[in-house]
Amino acid sequence: MPDWREIVSKGLSGLKLGAAEKEEVRAELAEHLEETYEALLREGMSESAAIRRTLSLAEDWNDLRRKIHWARKGKETMTDRIKQLWLPGILAFALSTGMLVLIQTYGPKLWVASWRGVLPLGKLYIPWLLLLPFVGAMGAYLSHRAGGSRRLMLSSAVFPVLPFLASILLVPVNLMFGDFIGQNVGLMSLVMALLGWVLVPGAALLAGALPVLFFFSRQKDPQQIAF
Amino acid sequence: MIGTGIKRGTAELAILSVLEEGPLHGYEMARRIEEQTKGALRFTLAALYPMLYRMEQRGWIRGAWETSQSGRRKRCYRLTPAGKKKLSPLRKEWAELFGALKRLTKVAHA
Repeated sequence: MPDWREIVSKGLSGLKLGAAEKEEVRAELAEHLEETYEALLREGMSESAAIRRTLSLAEDWNDLRRKIHWARKGKETMTDRIKQLWLPGILAFALSTGMLVLIQTYGPKLWVASWRGVLPLGKLYIPWLLLLPFVGAMGAYLSHRAGGSRRLMLSSAVFPVLPFLASILLVPVNLMFGDFIGQNVGLMSLVMALLGWVLVPGAALLAGALPVLFFFSRQKDPQQIAF
Repeated sequence: MIGTGIKRGTAELAILSVLEEGPLHGYEMARRIEEQTKGALRFTLAALYPMLYRMEQRGWIRGAWETSQSGRRKRCYRLTPAGKKKLSPLRKEWAELFGALKRLTKVAHA
């Protein structure tokens, strides 16, 4: 009897899936070919004819490999990634930025957090920070609704602080290579910016996202895990 | 309104219909479809498995490894509530399509 697993492994070599996932696909397809072959033999077909007929089920391995890749990782995943990360993340970012602008324009002045009233630690918009848990919860919920994993739910929730983090990280690069040498940007300012625009708002966003994550992970049906 | 993608639609309807009768693994599914359609629909691996994986991602079916009485491990698929819900409009769409074609061919022969 032909080694169907070997035949499938050879045919699907180059399939870009994770090792475990690839093994599952190989096992499933090999099982299908083996059952087909055995059924044909039982029907009285000769061994060589049964092999030929069985192999005709997978005559174009390239096509099969491409279609399996698309079905499991390709186009659907792209759409899913947009629904599970980018849309919830961008919505959360837009909402948090809109609220920040409104609070900066009409709200109370920003509060400077300091250590023992001497060392300034960060500039905080308290009303904005109080609203951020709701934004984080919304980002996590929208990602969950689109089928996002826990990682994507958390990423969507903290998405609003990522642009701030990126711009803060770019400051030292600009100082090294740009025309900002004359500007007085010290280490303390960077730490303050990091605290006020990334760490504290990030914690506030997470504070909203974690209950959502906890609630929905408790609801999850354990039988939904197929592999 | 009749949807596009006739070929894919036929395969989806065939798979959901046989799974409505009970859980099946890939080979058995293909065999039953071929048998019940008297050989009119025959699935190659390239037609069946990508379709199953796509339908699983959409939540219409759910696959899980099971060990048969003979000790062989097979991946069995079962219809989910979402799949059951999808089956009825799909059947309606196809009935509409065949009805329309029937009317058309009658007119053509008149």
